[in-house]
Amino acid sequence: MTVGWLRPWLDRLWMLAGAVSIRTKILGIVLALVLLLGLGVTLQVRQTVVRTMEAQLQEQSISVARDLAARATDLLLINDLYSLHQLLQATLNNNASVRYAFVIDPQGRVLVHTFGNGFPIGLLDANQAGPDEHHRTRLVNTDEGPIWDTAVPIFEGRAGTARVGLSEVMVNRAVESVTGQLLLTTVVVSLIGITAAAFLTWLLTRPILNLVQAAKAVGRGDFTQQVHRWADDEIGELSVAFNEMVVALRRAGEERAEREQLRAHYVKAVITAQEDERKRIARELHDSASQSLTSLLVGLRTMSGLCNQPEVRDHAEALRAIAAHTLDEVHTLALQLRPSVLDDLGLQAAIERYVADFGARYPIHVDLALRGLSEGRLPSEVETALYRIVQESLTNVARHSGARAASVMIERQNGQARAVIEDDGHGFDPALAGVADQRLGLYGMRERAELLGGKLTIESAPGQGASVFVEIPCA
Amino acid sequence: MRACVVLLIAFLLSACAGAPAAPAIRLSQLEPLLTQSARVIPLRVAVAAVISPRGTVESYRPLLDYLSRRLSRPVELVQRRTYAEVNDLLERGEVDVAFVCTSAYVAGHDQFGMELLAAPQVNGAAVYHSVLIVPAGSAARSMADLRDKVFAFTDPMSTSGRMYPTWLVQQLGATPDTFFARTFFTYSHDDAIRAVAEGLADGAAVDSLVYDFAIRRDPALRDKTRVIHQSPPFGIPPVVVRPDARPQLKAELQQALLDLSDDPHGAGKAALQAIGVERFILIEDSAYDSVRDMLNRAGAPAP
Repeated sequence: MTVGWLRPWLDRLWMLAGAVSIRTKILGIVLALVLLLGLGVTLQVRQTVVRTMEAQLQEQSISVARDLAARATDLLLINDLYSLHQLLQATLNNNASVRYAFVIDPQGRVLVHTFGNGFPIGLLDANQAGPDEHHRTRLVNTDEGPIWDTAVPIFEGRAGTARVGLSEVMVNRAVESVTGQLLLTTVVVSLIGITAAAFLTWLLTRPILNLVQAAKAVGRGDFTQQVHRWADDEIGELSVAFNEMVVALRRAGEERAEREQLRAHYVKAVITAQEDERKRIARELHDSASQSLTSLLVGLRTMSGLCNQPEVRDHAEALRAIAAHTLDEVHTLALQLRPSVLDDLGLQAAIERYVADFGARYPIHVDLALRGLSEGRLPSEVETALYRIVQESLTNVARHSGARAASVMIERQNGQARAVIEDDGHGFDPALAGVADQRLGLYGMRERAELLGGKLTIESAPGQGASVFVEIPCA
Repeated sequence: MRACVVLLIAFLLSACAGAPAAPAIRLSQLEPLLTQSARVIPLRVAVAAVISPRGTVESYRPLLDYLSRRLSRPVELVQRRTYAEVNDLLERGEVDVAFVCTSAYVAGHDQFGMELLAAPQVNGAAVYHSVLIVPAGSAARSMADLRDKVFAFTDPMSTSGRMYPTWLVQQLGATPDTFFARTFFTYSHDDAIRAVAEGLADGAAVDSLVYDFAIRRDPALRDKTRVIHQSPPFGIPPVVVRPDARPQLKAELQQALLDLSDDPHGAGKAALQAIGVERFILIEDSAYDSVRDMLNRAGAPAP
């Protein structure tokens, strides 16, 4: 049965228990157990002692009263009240628990008592014993606490009745003493328990703290960590498993790094091959196709000059226009594949040329800012990478962003080449970048930067335009 | 559920508080005790402690009840430790009637005029003896054998328990102080018998009537004690009245005692039987002359 109102308390308890350290938990458990046990035993012993001592007190009350009655008989019969008085005083003085004693005559009058001047109101009627009774004991409630009052008829009641009252003061004192000692023991045992628990906790938490430290180090990539196996217990097994895991992680890391290296090498080779291939095709187009087309143009112009027939001249003019257009396209193709200017004049000229060309082809205004590039050429692979990144970024801007303006900034500073390409288009979420070829393009840009030890970051959000930051060391 | 817990706690608390329901008495708040005098003046009868106070109560209760019925007035039994105290009570008029010992009568009669009322008759005679007893295992055969032993006297004023053994010792040319190693008083005859039976005393002299009565009632005493000497007869302990008793009361009491044996209801017989007496008879002061004579020869007893 789930108790509704109990749940918040349980939750709170769990919150408390969960919030404290293992050390506190173990200490708490030990302390709670010792205290529970101590208090339980104390209560139990206390109750037993109270019961036993009360029974004893009752017995003592009867025996004292019987003794008094036996000794008082002759004194009463010969009317020796002074001896009787002394007997009562002796009874009172020799029994610490006896609070009072008195003797009443057969008519129910108090003959002798131990109260001094006067007699407590109501005490006489608080207990009575018939002449044929052995005794009668009652618990009388007084202002000094409960008192076991025993009445014993003297000489079958013919000489009177002896009454003795035993107070529980001594019993209570004994009970308090026992309780105090047990509580003291509990406190001492608690202290010992706390010490033992603290030691135990230290034993338990030392390997765990070691594991935590090692795990943090492994998280930072330090796979040399090995933890000491302190004990042959569960935590020891955990330590062993942890060490094995670290070894496996190290091996996996090494394999991954190897694969990564291989992949980078491969990618670099592909890119280099691609660049070389493009360079070759561009040169081929430039050297062979362009020359052929130029020769064709010259031929056609010559042909139209030589021929007077207007029909042939028109045809020749039309063919010349087609040839000229084709030459333009071949030029553009060659430029896109691999601008020779990049190889011949460097990045600054190549970018300027590309941006100018871009501006001519798309209705997008591009701001160009180049700083520090005139102090000498960058390494050619850096130039190629930056050129390709700018090219890819602007292509994306033109194709996907719907931007009206873009800016390209490239600077060289402190051995770092930095480029920022921004647009005011409708932006995108870099995590879910749209179509496959765009994602591939972004991936290619990042790959190029990282192959050279650089870093590429894309910042964009829907409606916020897009920025590409790239930083490549070029010392 | 919450209500259940509350109920449980309340139950436990009430169980803990289950103290006695009696009203609290303040032991420190004291009030003076009321002292009231009896409206009806009872007939006060003293019985000298021939036997222990408890035995006296048990033995004399039927007789006192009989007297109470006969005189139509309550009877109060008064006991004192010694014969001398009873004599004092008679002299001061604080008791009306007393069963006294022989030598106590002799002393009381001679000193302040204690008056004889009646005397019990036992075995057909109004006499008794002092018997000298020793433990059953004792080798003693006479008083002479008890020299340097422990001797128990009954009462300082007792004829059979003090006067006669003292006289016997004097016949041996000694006094009890020098003759016995140690002496002590038991103040009653049955306690003297028990003292001998239990070996507390090596010898004692007791009233023969009490001894016979005691061994009849408690046969174990017969096996533990042995009689080694019996005195000549003495006048039996009488019933007396105080000197200034009204003659009418004296006559009524005398008649009541004499009528005991003829009581048609049987209560009188039972009363007599309880004190080991056949009947009460009239007696003259001269019956005690032999004791008076011995007392004079033995010297006045030290009370």
